[in-house]
Amino acid sequence: MFFQQLVNGLTLGSSYAVIAIGYTLIFGVLNIINMAHGEIFMLGAFIGLLLVTKFQFGIFTALLGAMVGGAILGYLLERTALRPLRQKKVSHLAPLISTIGVAIFLESVALNLFGPQTRAFPSEFSGHLLDFSFFKISMIQVISLGTAVFLMLVLQLLIEKTKVGKSIRATAENVETAGLLGINTNKVIVWTVMLASALGAAAGVLVALSFDAIEPTMGVMMGFKGLAVLILGGLGNIKGAMAGGFILGVAEVFSVAYGASSYRDAVGFGMIIILLFWRPQGLFSKAGEGGRP
Amino acid sequence: MDILNPYYLQIVTFILINAILGISIYITLSTGQMSLGNAGFMSLGAYASAILTMKLGLPLAFGIFTGGVLAALVALLIGLPTTRLQGLYLAIATLGFGEVIRVVALNLEITNGALGISGIPSLSITLGKVFNSTGLAEALSLDFQVAGQLGLVVLLLLILICVLTFQLLLEKSRIGRAFAAIKEDEHAAEVMGVNVVYYKMLSFIIGAFVAGLAGALYAHSTFFINPTDFSYHKVVDILLYAVFGGSNVIWGPVLGAFILTLLPEVLRFMADYRAMLYGALLVIMMVFRPNGILSRELAAKIRTFLCFGKKSPGGDRQ
Repeated sequence: MFFQQLVNGLTLGSSYAVIAIGYTLIFGVLNIINMAHGEIFMLGAFIGLLLVTKFQFGIFTALLGAMVGGAILGYLLERTALRPLRQKKVSHLAPLISTIGVAIFLESVALNLFGPQTRAFPSEFSGHLLDFSFFKISMIQVISLGTAVFLMLVLQLLIEKTKVGKSIRATAENVETAGLLGINTNKVIVWTVMLASALGAAAGVLVALSFDAIEPTMGVMMGFKGLAVLILGGLGNIKGAMAGGFILGVAEVFSVAYGASSYRDAVGFGMIIILLFWRPQGLFSKAGEGGRP
Repeated sequence: MDILNPYYLQIVTFILINAILGISIYITLSTGQMSLGNAGFMSLGAYASAILTMKLGLPLAFGIFTGGVLAALVALLIGLPTTRLQGLYLAIATLGFGEVIRVVALNLEITNGALGISGIPSLSITLGKVFNSTGLAEALSLDFQVAGQLGLVVLLLLILICVLTFQLLLEKSRIGRAFAAIKEDEHAAEVMGVNVVYYKMLSFIIGAFVAGLAGALYAHSTFFINPTDFSYHKVVDILLYAVFGGSNVIWGPVLGAFILTLLPEVLRFMADYRAMLYGALLVIMMVFRPNGILSRELAAKIRTFLCFGKKSPGGDRQ
């Protein structure tokens, strides 16, 4: 029972982590919270579903397609709701509000396009159970967990080892200095938003695979969970977001398994409210680092 | 009288309640804090008042007032840690608070879970009875329903005027100046000896009280509440009133509530695209008019215009 729940929690948590990394990447370079991230996640799930059902793509091709779709959405988001604000001197709350606008817009578009009903991936993906002695794991969970971990490793390599990663880190450190050092910061910001959105869309497909419920309103709920993880791990802290995602996933699954199943959606925010009393900079950041904007 | 049909009166009722909600977020914004928890405070007020009046049979006025007080008390409780937070942290923490309140309301027995509470004692019926017993309704040849709704509109208008007057007086006082100083520059205000935490708390609590009040009024105007009424979409609606109308002038949220409550009624034929329009509106406002329709400059112009060129009182504050 315990190990089974742990496995379920880690699988769920890996998807949360991928969502939260998207928030944290954008926060890192832009110092804003992208409230439209949950909706990009939701559209990613729909793109994946369409590719699988309408075009008979395999699941990994569909995942790739969803990521490309997410990246395009990210590009549009940056051009319409973020860049125009950056060029003016506006309050730091303005991007928060404009991305809330994008979120409402995208949710409404999805409602009009796909209707309010819940959809699911075809059942051939639910696959069989692999039975280890003390826990079972389904093919879907293996795919979901494996893909999430793979994406995180690739991202880690990208950020740490490549030139693009270096320029992202430099921009996150200080936009003006990075610009003076010859980095095209506008380009880096576009890349980062696209990368974050691609990850969000990928998480959408992964969550949709394991939950069998894709609906236009899922973005809000998942967005909230990503936000909780973001605060949990500390703003702008990629490793913190990964760890925070796993922590939230496990916490949620255990709260369902041992009692308070109907309070599941409040677990994340309950945790961060307590955390904010005690360590406002997040679990994995030192005070002042990434900390309060 | 055609203009007094129940449908119009209903819309006016919602405009007034939404204006009060808009002011509630304006008050917290006036210290530069963005609280996204006002839908949560609203639901606290609504549920508290509905339960008190229904289960305990307490008078409506008491229930409504208690709703506001309860929201303020909860704000005091969660305010201490959260007002120390800045900017985005506060926004997310209060958003989380609202979400926790919603999930709790979904699960408690006393709030009747997802079904919500129906048959809440109605303000308009109570007021209609008053009208009838005084014979005022007959004198004006109004039927019972219209008389009640008209009474509700007048009552809400009075409450709105009270809240507005309170806030206007506050802005002219020492407290209001402290709020403005904190909004402009928190560190500078602290250096000048303003007790930043105290004043931020104060604005947070007043905002919560007003939101709770509006919630209670909402419950007694619609007779039915459920947790979905106070979800994320309500948060966005409330935020929009202030952002769209103007978040630097008290009349901004009132104007915002007026336009944004009326707009869906006028645009009923395109109801499916309403949310899309709202979303686009938020982005466009932020890009082209980040301070809302009624900016400080525009408000000052209108003030001078209304005073026929005389130097307006208090206009030189900024």
